[in-house]
This record gives sequence, structure tokens and C-alpha cells, in this order.
Amino acid sequence: MKKNPIGEFEEIVLLTVGILHGNAYGVTIKEEIESRLKREVSVGALQTTLRRLESKGFLESEHGESSPSRGGRPKLFFTITLNGKKAIEHIRQTRNALWGSLPDLVLDLK
Amino acid sequence: MQHKPVPPNFPLKLLRLFCKPEFYPDIEGDLLELYDKRVSTRGRTKASWFLFKDVLLLLRPGIMRTPKVNQKLNYKDMLQHSLLMAFRNFKRYKSAFFINLIGLSTALASVLLILIWINDELNVDKFHALDDRLYQVMGNYEQNNNINTWNGTSALLPEALTEMPEMELVVGGTDPNWNISFDLTADGKKTKAIGKYVGKDYFHLFSYELIQGKPAEVLADPSSVVISASLANKLYGGISEAIGKSLEWKFLTIGSPAKITGVFEDPPSSSTDQFEFVLPFALHKRIEGAHWESPNAVTYVLLKKHVELEDVNFKLVDFMQSKVEDSNVSLFLKPYSEQYLYNRYENGIQAGGRIDYVNLFSIIALFILIIAVINFVNLSTARVSRKMKEVGVKKVVGARRSTLIAQFLIESIVLSVLATIVAVALAALLLPEFNQITGKVLKLPADLISMLSIAIATIATGALAGIYPAIYLTVFKPASALRSNGGSSGGPTWVRKGLVVFQFALSITLIVAVLVVSRQLQFIQTKHLGYDRENVILFEREGKAAEGLETFLAEIKNVPGVKTASVITNDILSPPGVIDFQWEGQVSSDVSFSRFIVHYDFIEALGVELIAGRSFSRAFANEPQIVLNEKAVEVMGLKEPIGAKAKLWGHDVTIVGVVKDFNYRSLHEAIGPMFFHLDSRFASTVVVKLESGNLQQSLVALESFYKEFNPGYTFDFRFLDQDFQALYDAENKVATLSFYFASIAIIISCLGLFGLAAFTTERRIKEIGIRKVLGSSVTGITKMLSMEFTIMVLIAIAISLPISFILARSWLTNFAYSVELSWWLFASAAIAGLAISWLTIGLQTIKAARSNPVDCLRDE
Repeated sequence: MKKNPIGEFEEIVLLTVGILHGNAYGVTIKEEIESRLKREVSVGALQTTLRRLESKGFLESEHGESSPSRGGRPKLFFTITLNGKKAIEHIRQTRNALWGSLPDLVLDLK
Repeated sequence: MQHKPVPPNFPLKLLRLFCKPEFYPDIEGDLLELYDKRVSTRGRTKASWFLFKDVLLLLRPGIMRTPKVNQKLNYKDMLQHSLLMAFRNFKRYKSAFFINLIGLSTALASVLLILIWINDELNVDKFHALDDRLYQVMGNYEQNNNINTWNGTSALLPEALTEMPEMELVVGGTDPNWNISFDLTADGKKTKAIGKYVGKDYFHLFSYELIQGKPAEVLADPSSVVISASLANKLYGGISEAIGKSLEWKFLTIGSPAKITGVFEDPPSSSTDQFEFVLPFALHKRIEGAHWESPNAVTYVLLKKHVELEDVNFKLVDFMQSKVEDSNVSLFLKPYSEQYLYNRYENGIQAGGRIDYVNLFSIIALFILIIAVINFVNLSTARVSRKMKEVGVKKVVGARRSTLIAQFLIESIVLSVLATIVAVALAALLLPEFNQITGKVLKLPADLISMLSIAIATIATGALAGIYPAIYLTVFKPASALRSNGGSSGGPTWVRKGLVVFQFALSITLIVAVLVVSRQLQFIQTKHLGYDRENVILFEREGKAAEGLETFLAEIKNVPGVKTASVITNDILSPPGVIDFQWEGQVSSDVSFSRFIVHYDFIEALGVELIAGRSFSRAFANEPQIVLNEKAVEVMGLKEPIGAKAKLWGHDVTIVGVVKDFNYRSLHEAIGPMFFHLDSRFASTVVVKLESGNLQQSLVALESFYKEFNPGYTFDFRFLDQDFQALYDAENKVATLSFYFASIAIIISCLGLFGLAAFTTERRIKEIGIRKVLGSSVTGITKMLSMEFTIMVLIAIAISLPISFILARSWLTNFAYSVELSWWLFASAAIAGLAISWLTIGLQTIKAARSNPVDCLRDE
């Protein structure tokens, strides 16, 4: 996974898409992140990240149904691709490896 | 059912503008959904705000479309196509192409030459490094209730001014107009060179570069002299060889040896002041004396930085009164480099000068360019019916209007680029001639800025010429453009006619201008001035001639061909003024008289007519005596002038005669009171009147006599009428130039008219054929065809005559004596305009009228 390093926000978006499994589109992703992480997410930031992840091949999208509140516009559902899964798995493993080798002393701060 | 809240339109519109089209629908969906939710949780206003904020935050590279506006068009191909079309059109409509090319290139060449000239004029004297702080002290001299402005100041002024805190450097000198020819002797070699006296900081102040010597030192010693590089080469064969050598200078009876302390680079041609050597100013003061009353020097000033000119001028107004109690002089500073262009004063107030000619020629350049551009516009719109098919077809296959406009603009820009190339070549070819007329050494500019401005001007001209036809031609709907009779309307004829009228109005105005200017100049140069300037030669009195005057004059009169000879102290064409002149029964005190300081036979040599009393004569006692002119008698109010006594500078003089008024100055000025004063002590110029007829022989005889009488001196003479011509130098140059440029303007107008006439007759060829078949005569058809143009030219005449009358009258007020503006002058301009236009269209119309109807109708 040297080629496409994943940023912090990208990681969050990828994971959230995974969490929402099957119901991940713009609004739900935004709300999910906001409620879980207690941080504000702008449509702009989210949309750019989604498109970027898609162009990196970590996400794929599919048009779904519409609802009256969307002015007849279709929802765009995102799902994680195999590559995406590998990418977050890779992150998780590297993090775990790092955590594993962390001496207990360091964490004794609190 | 609840009312569904409607989201604000603007943010979504904005989004649609910048968002990638493929992203747009679902992002908009998301935004709308969010809006909906927010309306229910936070209210409408907040929701709208958030929507707007979200849209603004979407303005980021990942979402925005890439700014490729016309991704589908290939610009290179379109440009290629347009160029191809341009060249095809040139080839197809050869006559129009050549008319445009010739017109535009002549116009551009004229404009280029005029611009070079103007640029040169504007840069005169600007080369001094300290130019922005360099000033000349000018004086307003009040005389006869009239203020004369000139640069003469007292030789004491430079020293006095140094005390003012605003002055960084003050340098005295002698008037560059006075720059006189000295006799120089070096190593036994004799030559003449132009010299002047300057203060010791002269080379600090002015950027005449010293090749040898230091600015601070070269003029420190009163016995030093600084010479130009070319003089050093001439006299000593090298610049470094000259340093330290001795140079003997002589002017009239004054002269002394001097040591060469420095060599300067010859003054550039952009300098008004041209001199070959300079002597220390201290010497001038010693020779000529320095008094507050006598303005026999000039003063240059370098102001300190950040000093306001107004403040200094305010202090200078009554500066002279602090030196001389009842001084009539008020001083002021003028930027040194402005003197050249702003050199005319009327009653102490700056009133133009050479800048008027600069403005005049700028206007002429603009007119010529406009006329040429009008040709292009007319010929392009006239071809409208042919072009319309092209436009129609292109529009049908989907060409946009902007593309078509671009195509037409490219066509006209290509033409103007071609015209510029021809124009530059033409200008280069004509430059030597132009230099001869203007008396300048102009070169085609080769620096980057000039090249760029020429390039910009070219494209601008092309765009200007092309924009109207381009817009006009592309406005048609394809359907009407393609209909078989679609083009018969021929475009907005009033615009075309208006432009032709405008062109001809300009041309006729120019014809009147040329007529008036040349008539006035002819008038000046042939007007009987009251004296005879033909066959009068002048030369410096020097050598033996300066020693034994009477012997010299007696001997020179014996030379075959010499009628009479005399000497004069002042310049004949600009005599000095005298105020200190009293007479019995004098009423007003401050009348200035011009004073001719002359010797016996002078009045006869000039052929001035005596109307009372006698002339100066050796037969009578040599008492101080003067001869008045009629104007002087009138001003003085003398009933019995002959024998009356007067006082000149407190000395008694007797009035012995009266001469008829004669124009001793340029005709710009009226004749004033003057007198001849018999006094030959300082006479510097010998005046010889020769017999008419065998002038050449007389001159040869005089030269050999002079060599014999005055060995070592060169016989260097000039004709009085040459001097006289020089008075009208500016007018003569302007007259010649305006004649050429007016001709060019008229020729270009005619080219346009020719093109237009050719086009109209060609378009109406079928009509002519039918008319002829139905029995119309050749004269009838010719009349019909030329009527349209005749009316246009008549309107142009009606417009231009009053304008040109006003212009001519205002120009003639510059002269005290001027020609009458008679009606026939305008009539002949009008007739000339009409005749020229008829000649231009005549060939075309008659050819069309005589054509055999069979030829033009057989296609149908």
C-alpha cells in the first residue's frame, strides 16, 4: 500500500462507509461521522474525499433511488472495494504492530 | 400536506456553474436533503445559510470542472482555416486587396515617419542626466507696455543666484543662439569653429561627456579651453594629442592663446546647443563686462532635490529689483529641455511654439490612419453580398458568431500585418528624403519597445478596421443571408456614405490648408519688404579688414561686380532694442526703438528708400547722426524731423534723414520704430551689394581679392536672403511636410473612392445592361452612376469649407502680415475635390456605361 497513502479523514470516511454498509451516501455518511466523532463535516470536504477515494479505487458508487426531499435527485451509494478493504486492513495492522511494540511505561502517563 | 420549503435558487445555480457535470445531480440531491432536514431542525433562514456555506465550501479542485471552455474546438485548425480564407479572399478580390494594402501601407508609413519625427522632437535636449532638475533662467522684459521674454540675463546673475538656498549649482554662459565662429590657430593650422563661454561647472551640469579632463578642473583656469573630439582630431590628429597644447583663438580684434585642458564628445544631434569649443565664462565677463543692466549672458540652474519650482519662481519675480531699483526685468525658471518645444511667449505668457507643430502632425497622422481604415471598412462592407453566402453557409453548419467575427478580424489583421511590412520598407526607403525635408538625422527605431509598439499598433489597426465589418457581416440570420436575393440590400449604405463624406471632408480641409500655407509663404517670400535682399552677401570682418576699415571698404568697392559695400554691427534681421532715447517734445518714455548700427553706404547697399533728408555721407561732418524710419517719426510725433536733435544714452545725435518703413524682422511682427545709427567702431559684419547678372563672376573676383587683401583668412560668406529664409525655416518645413502628407491623405481617399466606385458599377452592371437595352444613352448612365458620388462629395465640401476657413484664419493670425482669405481659395479647393473625385470614378463609370449590354446580360 505504498502507492496510495490514506489520510486521516479518508480513513474515517472509508470506515464509515463500511459501518453504514449498504446505506452509505452523502447525507448518511456526513451524519454518521458527525454523530460518532462529534465533529463538523462540510459537504465539500466529504464530497471531495469520496470522489478521491473512488478515483483511487477504494470505493465504488452506484445510483440508487430518490426521495421527495432530494428534489428528484438520485442518491449515490458508496461501497468499499476489495482494495479499500485491503487498505484499511493494512492501516489497522500497521497501527496494531506499532501499538504492540509500545512499552507500557509510555502509556503510564494518566 | 405541508408546504414543501423551497430552497434558495442562487447557491444551486452557482453550484451548477462550477461543479463537474457528472457530480452535479447527486451532490445537489445531498444538499437538498440536508436543507430539508435543517429546515425542520433549525428553521428556514439557518438552513439557507448552511446551504450557501456548503456550496461555497464545495469550491475546491476535486469538485470544480476544469476550465476548458470549448474542449471540442480545435483552435489551431480554426486559425489555420481563417488564415487560409484570408489569403483566398485576397487572391479572389485582388483589386480590393491591393487598394487596401496600398492605402494602409502608405498610411502606416506616413504615420511611422511622423511618429519618428515627433519622438525625436520630444527628446530634444532630454539626454542630460540631470534633466529633471535642470533649469534655464528666463527674463520677462517689459518694454512699450509689452513683455518680451528671452533667456538673456546679466553676467552677474550666476554668482548672485548661488546664494539662494534652493540652488545646487548655478552656471553662467553665453547664449547658444549667439554661438559664433571664432578663428583658431593651432600649430600653424588655421580653422574656424563655433565657440562659446561657459562657467566652470558647465560639464557637471550638462551631460556633454569629457573624454579627457575632469569636469571640476577643465575650466578652472581663465586661460584654458575645452574642445570637441572632432575639433581635436582636425587640429591635432587625435584626442590625447590635443591635451596640454596651446590654441590661439581670435574673434574680431579680441583674442589670446589658451591651453587645452579637456576634450569633450561632440554634442549629440538631439542637443539644440551645438558648439565645438568652450572658453571660461570669467573671460567673457572680462571682455564684455558684467553689469546688472546689460543682459549679455545666460544662466543655467540645477535645483536641489525636492525643491518646488513655484517656490523658487516666486522668489525670483522681483529678484532683479533688489539689484537694480527700477529694473523692468522679472526672472523665472524654465525646465531646460522644455525650451525647445515651448519657445513662444506672448506678453510674458507661454504660448506654444514648436509643440504646435508636434500636435499638428499628430493630428495629420491620425487623420491619415482614419482615412485608410475607412477605406478598409467601406470595401469590406461593400462586399457584403458576396461574403454573406459564406457567412450563411458557415452558420448553417454550426459556426458560432464569435468564430466568424474572429475569422474576419484575422483577415483584417493579416492585411494590416502585410501592410506594416510594406510600410516599414517604404518608410526606410523614404527616410533619407524625409530627413532632408525635416533637417534631422532620423533613424528607424530598432529597440524592443518600438518594435512592440509597432506590433501592437499593427494589430490595433487591423482590429479597428475589421471590427465593424465583422460585426455587421455576422449579424444576419442564415436564412436571409442565403436567400437568392439576400445580398441585394448592400448593407447600411448610410454608414458607408457617411464615411466617404468624412474622408472627403478631411481631404478638402487638407487641400485648403495646403493652399493657404503655400500662399502665405509665397506672400512672405515675395512681399516687397522695403529693401532689396537679393545679391547682398555678408561676411565676418576680420584680419586686416578689421584694422583699416576705410581702406578695406574703398578697395572692395573697386572689385568688379561690387556695387557698394558697408559694415554693420548688429544682425540685420534681429536688431537690438534701445529705450534710452530722448527727443524734444517726448511724451511717453518707454518706447523701444530698433537700432541698426551701421556705416556709410549701408542704406544704399540695402536699397532702403529715403523719403526725406539725406543718408549718411562722408561728404558731411562726422557728427553723431541717425536716420529714422517713418514709424519712428510717427511715434516720436515729430513735425520737422530733419535736423532735430535727440539724445541716445545721453549723447546728442542729429536726425539727418527719414526712410520709408521696411520690414526688417520676420513678417510675424509688425514694423516698429527704428533708426540707423552711424557708428562703425564695433562693426562685425561686412555687407556687400553685388551687381545682378554675373553673380558668379563677382563672387570669384571677390574671393581672389579677399585672399590677397586678407591672407590666412577664408572668404566665408552667406547671402542675406538665405538668412531671411531661415526666419521662416519652421514654416517652410511644415509647408513641405503638410503638402506631402495632405497629398497622401487625398490619394488614399481617392483609392477608397475608386474601389467603391468599381464595386458599385460592377454590382449594377446588369441594371446598366437593361437600361441600355431600353434605350438609355452613355451620358445618361454616366450621369446616373456619378450622381451618387457627386452628392457625397458636395456634402463633404459643405462640411469642410467652414471648418477649414476657421482653421486657416486662426493660423494666419500668427503673422502680422498675411494674405487675404479670398473666396476663390475655397472655391478652388472645392473644385479640386470634385474634380479629383470625378477623375477617380470617371474611368469606372464610363467603362461601365459603354459596355455592351450583351456581355453583361447573356448569363441570365
